[in-house]
Order: sequence, then structure tokens, then C-alpha cells
Amino acid sequence: MNGEQKVGPTALGKVVLVLFILGCIAGAAYYFRDLLAPKGAGGPKTIDFNALKQQVGRVEAPDTKGITTVNEYTYVPAEKLPPVKGVSAYRWNPADKVVQFPINVWIGWLPIVAANHGFSPNPESIFAKQYGFKVNLKLIDDPVVARDAFASGESHILWGTLDMMVLFAPGLMADSRTAPRIYQQIDWSNGGDGIVVRGNIHSVKDLKGKTVVYAQNSPSQYFINNLLIAAGIQPNEVHHKYTATAFEAAAAFVADQRIDACVSWAPDIYNIPEKVAGTRILTTTAEANKLIADVWAARADFAKDHPEVIKGLVAGIFTAMEQLSDPAFKERAYQWMADGYGMSVEEVRAMANDAHSTNFAENKNFFLNANDPTNFERTWKNITFVYRELGLVGTPVRFDEVMDFSVIKQLDQEGTFRHQQDTYRTTFAPTSYTKLSAEAPIVTQTIRINFYPNSANIYEPQHDELGNPIPNTLYDPSVEATLEKVARLAGQYERAVIAVVGHTDSSMKGRGTRYQDVKQLSLDRAMAVKQALVKKYKFDPNKFIVEGKAWDEPADPDDPMNQALNRRVEISVYPPEAK
Amino acid sequence: MSERRAEPASENGSAAGVVGRAPVGGRGAGAGPWLRIRERVPAPLAWVLGAIPVAAVLLLWFAITAGREAESRLVSPTILPSPLEVARSFPELWFDRALTRNLATSFARVLGGFAVAVAVAFPLGLFMGAFTKVKVAFNPLTVFAAYLPIPTLVPLTLSLFGTGETQKVVFLAIAFVIYLTPLFVAAVEGVDDIYLKTAYTLGAGRWQALRKVLLAIAWPDMFEAMRLGFGVGWSYILLAEMVDIGKGLGGIIMVSQRRGPREHIYLVLLVIVAVAFLTDRLWVWLGRKLFPYRETRR
Repeated sequence: MNGEQKVGPTALGKVVLVLFILGCIAGAAYYFRDLLAPKGAGGPKTIDFNALKQQVGRVEAPDTKGITTVNEYTYVPAEKLPPVKGVSAYRWNPADKVVQFPINVWIGWLPIVAANHGFSPNPESIFAKQYGFKVNLKLIDDPVVARDAFASGESHILWGTLDMMVLFAPGLMADSRTAPRIYQQIDWSNGGDGIVVRGNIHSVKDLKGKTVVYAQNSPSQYFINNLLIAAGIQPNEVHHKYTATAFEAAAAFVADQRIDACVSWAPDIYNIPEKVAGTRILTTTAEANKLIADVWAARADFAKDHPEVIKGLVAGIFTAMEQLSDPAFKERAYQWMADGYGMSVEEVRAMANDAHSTNFAENKNFFLNANDPTNFERTWKNITFVYRELGLVGTPVRFDEVMDFSVIKQLDQEGTFRHQQDTYRTTFAPTSYTKLSAEAPIVTQTIRINFYPNSANIYEPQHDELGNPIPNTLYDPSVEATLEKVARLAGQYERAVIAVVGHTDSSMKGRGTRYQDVKQLSLDRAMAVKQALVKKYKFDPNKFIVEGKAWDEPADPDDPMNQALNRRVEISVYPPEAK
Repeated sequence: MSERRAEPASENGSAAGVVGRAPVGGRGAGAGPWLRIRERVPAPLAWVLGAIPVAAVLLLWFAITAGREAESRLVSPTILPSPLEVARSFPELWFDRALTRNLATSFARVLGGFAVAVAVAFPLGLFMGAFTKVKVAFNPLTVFAAYLPIPTLVPLTLSLFGTGETQKVVFLAIAFVIYLTPLFVAAVEGVDDIYLKTAYTLGAGRWQALRKVLLAIAWPDMFEAMRLGFGVGWSYILLAEMVDIGKGLGGIIMVSQRRGPREHIYLVLLVIVAVAFLTDRLWVWLGRKLFPYRETRR
């Protein structure tokens, strides 16, 4: 043993060598850490709220005229919709003619359940009797499963809210046959979705720095982020916690005291404040009653092959909406729905106020009226905008690539449902700002319109050196986009009262300017915003309460001389009186 | 549950681990039919044989998703993208969606859940396997748990453990305990009575018999159970990460299901399979180091 010459490194040498190699690997790994373990992209980014105007502004050319009548789209849907290529790939038996129509647990489906006289294909249904096909309603509560059934051709229809469609559409449009075609709005969520907060939160702005839990990629996500953006809160200024379903979001909120707010569904949003001390409802779709639209989409290949079935579905649902005004029939419909969902009739009846069914007149507004502040186009664009800001969608799908108003238009021309009226409009009693502002607003949106000095005309043209107005110019070129922002929020909060409060800067303070004049100017400016909104979007004038605050309330109390910030109009959404 | 699983496990255990299995069918390599019972297969051939079904699946995948136009394919890309499309989306998954970080998060959760589960199931299984009174006491519970639809436990763990890491680890730990306990019991019960009798004859006490006979002999089978059980964590990762989605592979799958890209769903599945395979190799390697005397096959 002793005589043998040892070859190779000593034990210590080996250890040193191993350590050296490990060190090299660790060093290399650290050096290439961004390559090996990148942090990832996407997710909420910082929103440039000033650039926001331009983004919206690009959508429409400045329109100084305002519109006095209902402005209908003039294009033909088929020209904008992506053409269907290839061989249709859905399951269809021409002998049975059964449309596979999955739905989730949601009272908004009552009209189709009623039209179908239950869930299973039924020869007694409106569809069978009047239009010669049957419908099989299937409970598929999981949107992902519903989407996959739709994509594979197992079902012909996809249920969903419009915000879900925005997320699903890009993927489904990879195949022109599964491109979703939306023909009808079923309902507006009307109290079915809501935000519950702990007691220290009174307004959306209080959510800054707080933790919010909600189901990702669901109406909840759209609901809360739309409000946060409106309030000018950056996505990263709120701690977002995601769950798979709204039910879990509610459970997480109840279980975890560190969570300050949750977005969920009825009945949880109403049960939590009753059962958990120190919690309250911040807002629900009972106020934001034109925010979350439920629709159904058909596969493009199916719609192309069976236009008569699509028309029958739309018309059958409208017919049932009418029949549901008969209480006896409604009771039967509740029973059918209860049987289909495996619930009790009482449970179904308890959901009755979660949604408002949209009849033909409301659908006509939604699909055809280009002026409506919450029509399909604006709702789609607003969702796309919110989700793009959050980094959730890449290349967005245009609204006219999925919206097909041909059936609504056809029914309009035929006059089948001419008698149906749009009664889902809130009438407002005049009120005062003092009365209104006693309560905290749900959300306050600050907008900036560059007024020409001493002018209250929001459409003021630019002036040349001599002070003469230059025709066809605008002093504030983004004024339409700014108004659009306000109109969308005011439209979504159809039932809420909106305060329009004008503020001026304090540059002339103590320089001989009369306070009354300044106050009047700020009031005039607020009034100008209100009038422009009422004129262009046909709002009830009593929905808007104007107030002028002169230079009394600087935008940032810590920086009262920031005049650029001070010249502003604040749009506050107040909960409706009847609460 | 334990009874159902006990039989095959114990048979395997005592035969392979203690007696040692003689190579069967070792007469002349070339002779006999091509398929022989329990023959030794050389490693290269094993690799080739193993690659054939994988290649077949891949080929099938290629075939049903072939075609330039989405509409001309047998299966639409809205359901199943082609292997090339899936491969091409890898950089996006790696960089934009931080695959490695998410993988590390999920792996840590599986590991944490496993550690907690072993800490509970190991002593429980050992005592249940050794002492009949302990067994009859806990048996109803384990039988009940074995039939439990685990997804229903998500809201329960949520309300008990909040929305953070604890909830995920505890949820996975529950799944692991339910899986591991019967296997541990079976491993201990699988120890042949003859060893116990011998030990008693030599004057061993109760605890000595437990430690030096039951545990010592069952240990390789318990290790094997852990190896099999480790994969269970991955099958529940989606459920575990349903709450506070954001980090982890389950989150990537759930988000991709909703807003795409579809390719990432399949990529993550492949990543999970790859990681599970590698960890399994690690278990096997560790097993060989720990129990070289068990090395009988291959």
C-alpha cells in the first residue's frame, strides 16, 4: 500500500475541484438567470392614463355635430365577419334537428328554458312548434368545458358574458368554423355580480394598496378592473388575488381577514354582509346595470349552414320573454329550470332579480344603435381596452368580427316584435348636489378637458394669433374621447346618479378676479360636459347633477399649486336613491 | 382500502425484496418465443421498445393535426395544436410566462406537501401495519378517505388555511396521506411472520421487533410506495393551485384554458411529465443506493 504511487488528486483536491465546478455552474446560472428563470411578462402593467385618451380617440374621428336621431349601422355584417372555410365540423343529425345549447346556472337563461319547455329536446317547445327544430339545453357550468365542447363541435352554441367572449374569441377564431357569431343578448346582469368590501372602504379609490380577490378571466375581473381604471388606480397599486371561481373568491374573502374586497356573485355577495361583521356591499350590477352582458354565440359553420335555426332561436327566445309576463307561465318556467338545474323552485325564484332579460327593443338598441353608450360595440371595445391594459389580450378581435346583427335587423324589418318596448330605462327625479354628496360616491373619475381660457365651450375651436376662431378645429382635440370615457361609465351605471363637478385652477386667486365669476365658470364647464353627454348619448338630463367648485378643492392637497392638475372635471357615480 | 392494495404489494414485496428473485427464463438467449415471461431485457433494447409507443403517439399527433389551414385538419387547432405549433410556443412559455419560476413554485409545493404527508403517514402506516388495534381504529377513516372526492376539499382547506402557501401544501399533503397510508400499511403487513418468529426466538422485545424486523424489512417497500406516491402530487397540482392563481404550473394551465394560447396547456403537461419522469429516475437511483440488495431486475 505504502509503496504504491497514488495517482490523481488528493481527497482535499477532489473537494476543491468539485466545489470549483459547482461554483462555476452557480456563477453561470446566476449570470444567465434571466435566460434560465425569466421573470415573465404580461400581467398588470402601468397604465398611462393620459395616453388612454388617445387610445380611445383613435377609434372615432372628432364629431362636433352631435347626433339627434338613432344612428343605425349601415354595413352588412357578412362583409365584416370572417368567411367560413372548409367543411363544417359539428355533430348534427338532420333527422332529429337538435341544437346542442349548453347553459350555466344563471337566471338569465329563463327565457330559453321557458321557450324549450324544459331542458331536454321537446316537441312541445316554441322551437319545435314554430321553427321545426329542437333544442337540448345542457348544464355546463365550467366555461372552459363549454368552450371545448363548442370548439369540438359537440355543441353548436357557446354561452357567456361578453367579456368572456373577448377572451375566448382570439383562440376560437384560429379556425374559421369555430369563430363565434353573436346574434342575441340574453340579459344584463342586474344585481347578480357585486363587490363586497370590509368596512374601511367606502369608494373605489379606497382600494388603493388593498387586496382584492376574484375569479380570474370572469366577469368579476372585468367589473373590478373597469372600476379601478375609471378611478385612475394603477393595476399594480392593488394586490390582486385570483381564484378559479367566484364561489372560491367569496370563500377566500370570508376566510382571510387580510383580504379587503372580493368580487363575486349572488347570493354570496348578499349573504356575506349579513353574516360577516364589518363587511358591506360596495357596488353591484343593480347599479352598474348595463355593464355585464350575457349573450350566446353560434359556431360560424353552423350559423352559415342553418340560418333558419339561428333565427328561430333568437325569435323563440323573444317570444318566451313575452310569455313570461304571464305569472302562471313563469311559475312553470321556474319549475322547468329547477328540474334542469337540480335545484328547488325556491332557489330558482331567489335568483329572479339577478338578471334583466333583454327583449327585442333592447337588443335592437344593443346591436343596431351606434349612439347607445352601452351598445355591443362600446361594451366590446371597453372590455378589450380594460383587458389590453391588464396585458390579458394580445391582438384583439374587432367587435364586427363577432357581432352579427343580421337576425335582429331581419326581425326588425318583419316587425314581428315591434310591440316590445325598451322599459329598462331609469327615470331620474331632480336632486341637488348637496343632497347627493352626503354619501360617498362609488367611484370618481377625473377627466381633463382643455378649455379655452374663460370659455365653457368644450367644442371651442383653435384661435389664430389675432384671436379669431379657426373653423373645423378643436382647442382640445381629444374632447370626444374624453366624453366617450364618461359616457361609457355613465352608461354602465345606468341606474346611478352622476355628479359632474367642475374645478378651476387658482392662478388668478388674489389678482382681482371675482370669486363668483370663477365659480360660475367652473359651473358652466360642468354644465357643458353634461349637455354634451345628454345631446350625444341621449341620457336623461336629470341623471347628471352639476356643481362648480371654483378653486376651492385642489386636486392634490399636498400640491395645491399644480394648476395643470387643478383644471379638471370630476365625474362621481352615486348609488341610486332607492336603495 | 388497505386490504385491496395489500395483496399485490405484499406479494411483490416479500418475493422481490426478501427472497430475491432469480432471473427467470435465462436459458439460451436466442431460443424460445420472442415474448418470454420475466425475461431480462438489455438496456438498449428496453430504450428502443420504450421509444416505439412514444413515437407512435407523436406520429398520431402529427397526423391528426397535419395541414396548413386550420379547416383542413382532422382535429382543429382550437382543440389540439400541432406538435410544431406547441414546440414553437416554448420560448413564450419560458420567457413571457416564466416557466422555470412557476415550475420551481409548483415543485416546492409538491415537495412540501409530500414532506408533511410522510411525516403523518409514515408513523401512522407503521403502527397500523404493526399493531392490529391501531389498524382497526384507523381503518374506517382510511377507507372513508380513500373514497373521498378530493376536489371537494378545496373550499374546506381554503376556509381553514387561508389562501396562501399553507393551503396548497396542506391540500397536497391530504392527497398524499390518503394515497401513502394504505401502501405503508401493506408494506409493513407484507413482512413475513417467519422473521418475527425468528426475532422473538432470539429474544427480541416488542420495540426491537418493530424497529429491527418490521421496519427494516418493510423499509424498501415503503420507499417504493413513496416513489409511486410522489407522482400523485402532480396530478392534484391543478386543484391545489385553484386558489390564489398566479404562480405555479396549475395557474398557467388554468389561464391558458381561458385566454390561450392553447399550446401552453399541452406544453405544461409535457413539462410536468418530464419533471415527473426525472424525479422518478432520481427515486430509482436513490433506491439503488439505499437498497442495493433489492437490485434484482434488469
